[in-house]
Amino acid sequence: MPEKNTIGAAGIAGILILAALLIAAPHVVSFSQQELLVLLTINVLVVASYRLQTLTGEWSLAHVVMMGSGAYASALFAKSFGFPVPLAMIGGAIVAGLVAALMSFPLFRMKGFYFLIGSFAAGEILRLIWKRFTNPFGGPKGIQRIPGFPEIDLGFIRIDFYDPANYYYLVLAVVLVSLWVLYRIEKSRIGLTFHAIHWQDKLSESVGVDAFRYRMLAFVVAAFFAGLAGALYAHYLSTVNPNQFDVNTMVYVLIWTIVGGTTRWYGPILGVVTLTIIDEVILRGIGADQVRPLLYGGILILAILFLPNGLESLVMRASDALRRNRGQATSGAMVRE
Amino acid sequence: MPDFLLQTVFNASYAASYMALVAVGLVLIFGVMGVINFAHGELYMAGAYAIVFFYAWLGLPFVVAVGLGLFFAGCLGVLMELALFRPLRTNPLGGLIASIGFLLILQTLAVLGFGLRNQTVPPVSQGRLTIGGAILTYERLYVIVATVVLLAVLWLFLRRSKFGWALRACAQDREAAALQGISINQTARYAMFIGAALAGVAGAMTAPLVAPSPFMGHGIIVTAFIIIIVGGIGSLEGAVLAAVLYAFVHTFVTTFFDGVIANIVGLLLMLAVLVVKPQGLFGVRERA
Amino acid sequence: MKPASSITLNRRTLLTGAASAALLPVVGMPKASFAQDNVVKIGFLAPLTGAVAAWGKPGLDGCRIWADWVNEAGGIEVGGQSYKVELVSYDDEDDAGKARTGATQLIRENDVKFIMMLGGNSWPGVEEIAARQGMMVSTLLPSDLTPDTETLIAPCEVHPIYNVTGVDWLAANRPELKTAVVCAQDDALGKPSVATYLAAFEAAGIQMASPPLFFDPATTDFAPVMTQLLANNPDILCLDTCYADYVQPLCEQAFQQGYKGQIISCTLDFYQRIVERTSKEFMEGVIFQFPDFDDQALNDPRINFRKPNEFYAEYVKRYGANEWSAVSWEYSSILDLWADAAQRAGSIEPDAVLAAMKDGGTGKHAFGEARWWGKELFGIDNALVGDWPVVVIRDGKATIAEFRSIPEWWDKNSELLLKHMSDLGLLWNQRT
Repeated sequence: MPEKNTIGAAGIAGILILAALLIAAPHVVSFSQQELLVLLTINVLVVASYRLQTLTGEWSLAHVVMMGSGAYASALFAKSFGFPVPLAMIGGAIVAGLVAALMSFPLFRMKGFYFLIGSFAAGEILRLIWKRFTNPFGGPKGIQRIPGFPEIDLGFIRIDFYDPANYYYLVLAVVLVSLWVLYRIEKSRIGLTFHAIHWQDKLSESVGVDAFRYRMLAFVVAAFFAGLAGALYAHYLSTVNPNQFDVNTMVYVLIWTIVGGTTRWYGPILGVVTLTIIDEVILRGIGADQVRPLLYGGILILAILFLPNGLESLVMRASDALRRNRGQATSGAMVRE
Repeated sequence: MPDFLLQTVFNASYAASYMALVAVGLVLIFGVMGVINFAHGELYMAGAYAIVFFYAWLGLPFVVAVGLGLFFAGCLGVLMELALFRPLRTNPLGGLIASIGFLLILQTLAVLGFGLRNQTVPPVSQGRLTIGGAILTYERLYVIVATVVLLAVLWLFLRRSKFGWALRACAQDREAAALQGISINQTARYAMFIGAALAGVAGAMTAPLVAPSPFMGHGIIVTAFIIIIVGGIGSLEGAVLAAVLYAFVHTFVTTFFDGVIANIVGLLLMLAVLVVKPQGLFGVRERA
Repeated sequence: MKPASSITLNRRTLLTGAASAALLPVVGMPKASFAQDNVVKIGFLAPLTGAVAAWGKPGLDGCRIWADWVNEAGGIEVGGQSYKVELVSYDDEDDAGKARTGATQLIRENDVKFIMMLGGNSWPGVEEIAARQGMMVSTLLPSDLTPDTETLIAPCEVHPIYNVTGVDWLAANRPELKTAVVCAQDDALGKPSVATYLAAFEAAGIQMASPPLFFDPATTDFAPVMTQLLANNPDILCLDTCYADYVQPLCEQAFQQGYKGQIISCTLDFYQRIVERTSKEFMEGVIFQFPDFDDQALNDPRINFRKPNEFYAEYVKRYGANEWSAVSWEYSSILDLWADAAQRAGSIEPDAVLAAMKDGGTGKHAFGEARWWGKELFGIDNALVGDWPVVVIRDGKATIAEFRSIPEWWDKNSELLLKHMSDLGLLWNQRT
């Protein structure tokens, strides 16, 4: 757990480089890769919000259904109620948070594996409701022709958000702000309490921490951001349907989180970026579509066997090596094994 | 009406049988090794494709093909244990990821080897049992009989043999079992073989009835987890009884209402058990 | 049973499949570029992996045969130039997001002139891109058609409208049958098909013995479903558009539960196996809509599909008989239509080809002359609808009984179909 919290000069340089990369990204990749960038950035938020939820030690399998709740709610607000899209998106995120709040009551009576399966059941029931009722959820075909983010026309500047590069910047802005919020929560007292509940829940309760309230808080905040990601997704693709939020998608979130690493806040982000690039760019580029799932499965197995602590362990080792080369104190190098 | 009820009972018994085999297999693996094996449905699929290969293509007798399917699935299980679960013993989340990877590999191999489309298996028997107006075909009857026999054999094995005791000890408390000198690795291999073989046998026996496809494992795994939760994670008896309960509820609701509602009812049933009695109907111990 | 030949075929498939899978990354993708010749690229955007791949991949396989034949003959001649045809595929995994990425790649990076899609879940992701880029796209699902995208056409599969031909033929040939039941999987394909069958039965004066039964797509045990269906002893059992994994167990269940009536279905994949598992007598007279491509009736001059018997033989040779389905030939028939239109237009550009295709409001559908139709159901006349075969099983073999006209049925009975579609909320202006 101990890690350096202050940012040195190397850190600032790193951040600037990263910022430059993020801003330049759409212009150095191909058209189709721009589309991938948008989807990837949205998934970064999904995965980062999932991390917050897992800090309390409970792993929910309803997370993508929260994303779906935000997507469906935002779509309905915009299409059926005529809300302006930005407002609908916030509304969607709030609805996702509310759904999570409601689900907290039955779900947090369970722990561990039971919570895992219980959250799956609760999420799946909601998803089946979307599938069953054509009115208002559109049934198996879902909702289509969802309005996109409105064009910004200021006379001297026109930004059309249909263009993936522009939508990417919009999503990037929203996601960066969200990541900052999530990071601050993780590093705050609330975040510490989440950790405490995870590792020492009896002890925390004995000092008066209401575990249920904190678990619910983590669940609701995570759902809010997942819902926001869902709304961004809905207005980009202009369509939502129940298949997009099923157990397969949830499994991918799990894969990204676990392969990325669970001890650092950037772990899941590393996971989603690396695995998406491998799957969508590298494996597709080889051109053997039929074996792509096999190769991906093989990569997962190799990744988890050789990097049991996740991809983040590579980053940690690299930064340790850098630090040692500079002769600085190795206290930050203590890694949870 | 009584015919209709009896028919539904026959249908439910068949469903309960193969689900019980799959669920008991999953309990063994999860209960003994603490690993969530996402690829369990693909072990079922492997058993079904063994029948396609040995029975439909090579023309071996059905019973022989089922035996080969059982053995093949069991070996796949042991392979998973040796290559994936043992190195990841201390990392259950990692084991889950590895099992997902293995799932993708098995599915793709099935597509590459047998093609995308469903296979059909020639009928094993066209005979049937008719009671009143209700019909139970021999193919379905065999599944029910085989399930009863296999579970009885398993029960005897667990109660009477040394390995059986070791398995149950590991399921109850792994550390204590290790302290008693029980080899976790060996027990895990047995558990994986038996658990996988049970799933494989279920797939093999239902292959003539369901048109095997590379993705047939997908629906099974979710139902299997629901059943073992309802039955109680450490409990084999619980898995069997929960399978029967779930199959009967699902079949009856499907027959009298529809399949989507039956799925929702099944999930609600599971949630109810989780809320009211989290250890499951026959829960042995609470796993955190 | 012919164990010997089927084993050889399948072992070969197994080995070829494994070998090519192993070698592909080494040898490189057979997207060989034809260096000197002019090349026209055609996109194939459909699920190639995953649970729905059976609706996409076999189509790509069939298109490869089409492309190979055309290229061996020197390419297609358009506007005085000879073009080799190159297929560019993208696996959309039946997902709108991936389809959108794929469409962008195909259009803006691969410079394709036409995209063939399966449609359904993936189409809405492509909709706006196709409209903005003016790219011609074909779908196998007419329910995707929308007045907002003039460049989307459904030129081959006109599911579920062609189902009316089967009922129409049945009513004409077996007027003594008076009651029917219908079941379908509860998904985007099942519902419109049920509406069509209900309209067709009503038009033929056949009563429904019980309301339509929708079952969960994940069902594997059809005994309860069949028990429910047969409860009122219907004369006609309609299996709607059940996929291969449903239609077989359903037929078996009907057989085992002693059904003696008439069965009608849209698809009857692997019917030979169904005959094996039930009996020739049971399956005698079963009606469905998809002919065997080695049927001699397909050599009729009105058929616009090039060399159907040879196509089937080549497909079976390359991929095995088990992989054959309607999907295998449908995309290729769209390519026939595209090639014909491009030649008439003298250009490979999408707008010109589309205009030529729709010229005069008629077109050359696989099964004969057809008209562009669909405004009332889809909001736009972009579905190519003409004759469709009614296939009947005789002595264990599927034979084309007759080609019946869909537009003729429509001209007489359109209000019924509109009513039933509207009741199930399926008209284009009822979409969410």
